[in-house]
Amino acid sequence: MKGDKLLYYSLLPFAAVVIAAFILLFAVISYTSAPAIKEYGWRLFTSSAWSPSETGPKSSKYGLLAPLYGTLVSSIIAVILALPVTISTVLVIEEYAPPQTRDLIGSLIEIMAGLPTIVYGLWGLEVLAPILKVHVYSPLHQLLGFIPLFSCRPFSGYNILTAGILLAIMVLPYMVAVARDAYRSIPMTYKEAALAIGANRYEYAKIMMGMIKPGLIASALLGFGRAAGETVAVALVIGNVPLISSCLFKPGYTISSLIANQFSMAPLYPYMMNVLFTGGLILLIIGVAANSVAVIMISRSRLR
Amino acid sequence: MDHAIIVEKLNVWIRGNHVLKDIDLKVPQGSVTAIMGPSGSGKSTLLRSINRLVELVPGTRVKGKVMVFGRDIYSEDPYRVRKDVTMVSQTPNPFPHMSIYDNVAIGPKIHKLVKSKKELDKLVRWALEKAMLWDEVKDRLHEPPTVLSGGQQQRLCLARALALKPKILMLDEPTANIDPVNSKKIEEAIKALVRDEGITVIFVTHTPAQAVRVSDFIAFIYNGRIVEYGPSRELALNPTHELTEKFLRGEIG
Ligand SMILES: Nc1ncnc2c1ncn2[C@@H]1O[C@H](COP(=O)(O)OP(=O)(O)OP(=O)(O)O)[C@@H](O)[C@H]1O
Ligand SMILES: [Mg+2]
Repeated sequence: MKGDKLLYYSLLPFAAVVIAAFILLFAVISYTSAPAIKEYGWRLFTSSAWSPSETGPKSSKYGLLAPLYGTLVSSIIAVILALPVTISTVLVIEEYAPPQTRDLIGSLIEIMAGLPTIVYGLWGLEVLAPILKVHVYSPLHQLLGFIPLFSCRPFSGYNILTAGILLAIMVLPYMVAVARDAYRSIPMTYKEAALAIGANRYEYAKIMMGMIKPGLIASALLGFGRAAGETVAVALVIGNVPLISSCLFKPGYTISSLIANQFSMAPLYPYMMNVLFTGGLILLIIGVAANSVAVIMISRSRLR
Repeated sequence: MDHAIIVEKLNVWIRGNHVLKDIDLKVPQGSVTAIMGPSGSGKSTLLRSINRLVELVPGTRVKGKVMVFGRDIYSEDPYRVRKDVTMVSQTPNPFPHMSIYDNVAIGPKIHKLVKSKKELDKLVRWALEKAMLWDEVKDRLHEPPTVLSGGQQQRLCLARALALKPKILMLDEPTANIDPVNSKKIEEAIKALVRDEGITVIFVTHTPAQAVRVSDFIAFIYNGRIVEYGPSRELALNPTHELTEKFLRGEIG
C-alpha cells in the first residue's frame, strides 16, 4: 500500500509533463494563430483565396476554406473506403483464416503501420496515381459521368480521390488494430449464441459487427484523425490546387500540405505564419475531437 | 415409437481428449430427457454434438452418427440443423446490443420465418409467452436486455430459441445460477412446451429432483459414457448402476 503511494507520487511529475506539454502545444498554436484571426476574421475560414503580398496584410489574401475542404473530403473518402476493408480483415484474421495465414496478415499489417509515410507518398506518386487514372478514373468517368462525383474529366491521377485512396491504405493498419481489439473482446458465449440460432457466416458477421459498433466508430474516428493530419504523402498526390469541387477527379489541397508547402516562404510575408498556425489549430482541434470521441467509444466498446 | 434423435456410436475428441465414448441414445419424439452426470463428464459436449456446435473448437473430431428426424445432421447444412435444434446455454447470453424484442426477433429474421412486421410481432409475443416472460417485459420490449435480472435473461434466451419454432429444444443447466422462482418458471415453460407444442426437450441438470419433476427419461453420463438410461422415476429411485447411485447420493459430482 505504502509502496503504491510512493510509486504514484514518483510518477506524478511524468504525468504532469505530458499534461503540461499538451497545454503548451495548445497555447502556443492558439497564441500564434490569434493575430491572423484578428486581422482577417471569418474570411479566413470562408474564402479560398491565397495571394500573399509582401507589402502588407491589407493587400494579402488568405483563405483556408479549400484546404479545409480537401482535408475533410480526402479523410472522409479514406474512412469510407477503409472501413469495409477493416471489417473484412478483422473477420478473416479472427474467424476464417488458418493460423499461419492469420499470423502473416497480422504481421503484414504491423509492417504497414510502421513504414515511413514518404514511402507511401512516393508509391502513390509513381505507381498508384498513374494506374488509377488509366484503369479506374477514365472508365469511371465514361460509365458514371452523369454522377457529379465523376462528372469532370480526369486530366491526371493527382486529385482528391487519389489522396483519399492512398490515405485509406495508410490508415488501414490503425483502423484494423482498433477494430480487432474490439472484436477480441467479444465473449465466446455471444459467438455461440449467434451460431446456436443458425446464423450463417454473413448473419453471424452482421451480429458481431453490431455488437462492436462503438469499437468500429472508434476505429473510423481514429482513422479519420490520422488521415486529416497526414502531410507528405497527401502533398505528393493531391495536386495542391486550392479548389472546391464536387467532382473527385479535380485536384485539391489539404491544410497539412498547405502548411508544408508554404512554411518556408512564410517569414517573407506578414501574417502568413499566423495563418498557417491557424491551419495547425484547426488540425489540432479536429485531431483532439476525433480522438477523444474515439477514446470514449473504445471504453464503451468493452464487452467484458 | 418415433424418435426425434438417434445417436449411434458417437465419439468426440477435443484436442486429443476422448470426451464422448460410444454414445448410443434414442430420444422419443415429444419426450423430455434429462442428462445428468458429474462435472466434466461430457454433458455439454453431448448437447453440442446434436447441434454441431462442437465443431467450433479447433481440433475437434466427431465420429459416429447423429440422426435428427431421420436426417444425418453431420452430412447436412449446420445452419439448418441449428434452426430445428436450438439450444439455450448455461449462462444467459442475450445479445447486449439488441433490444429485448430484437433478441427474440433475430432468429425468425435470419431464417425468414415471417413475411410481415405484424407476423413477427405475433411470433415474438408467442415466444415470450411460452418462455413465461411476456408479462414482465411487454412494456419495455425496446429496452436492452441488461435491464433484466439473470433469471429473466435466461428466459429471454429461451424465447430467442423458441422463436425459431424448433422441433427440438436443448437446455444446458437452464436453472443452474437462478433463484427458485425463476427455476420454477423455466420448469413450467418446459412442461407446457412439450404438452402444447409437442417439442422434444433435452436438458442438463444437476438436481435429481428437478430431473424427476420435469423429465420422462434420464441419461446418466460418467466419464464420457452413458452408464445408465431409463424412465426418470425408476432410474432415480432404483438406480441399477453403482455410479448412478453414488451420484444421486451426492457422493460424486
Ligand atoms: N473447448 C474445450 N477445449 C478443451 N477441452 C474441452 C472443451 N470443451 C470441453 N472440453 C473437455 O471435455 C470434457 C467434457 O466437458 P463438458 O463441458 O462436456 O462437461 P460437462 O459434463 O458439461 O461439465 P459441467 O457439468 O462442468 O458443465 C471436459 O474434460 C473438458 O475438459
Ligand atoms: Mg456443462
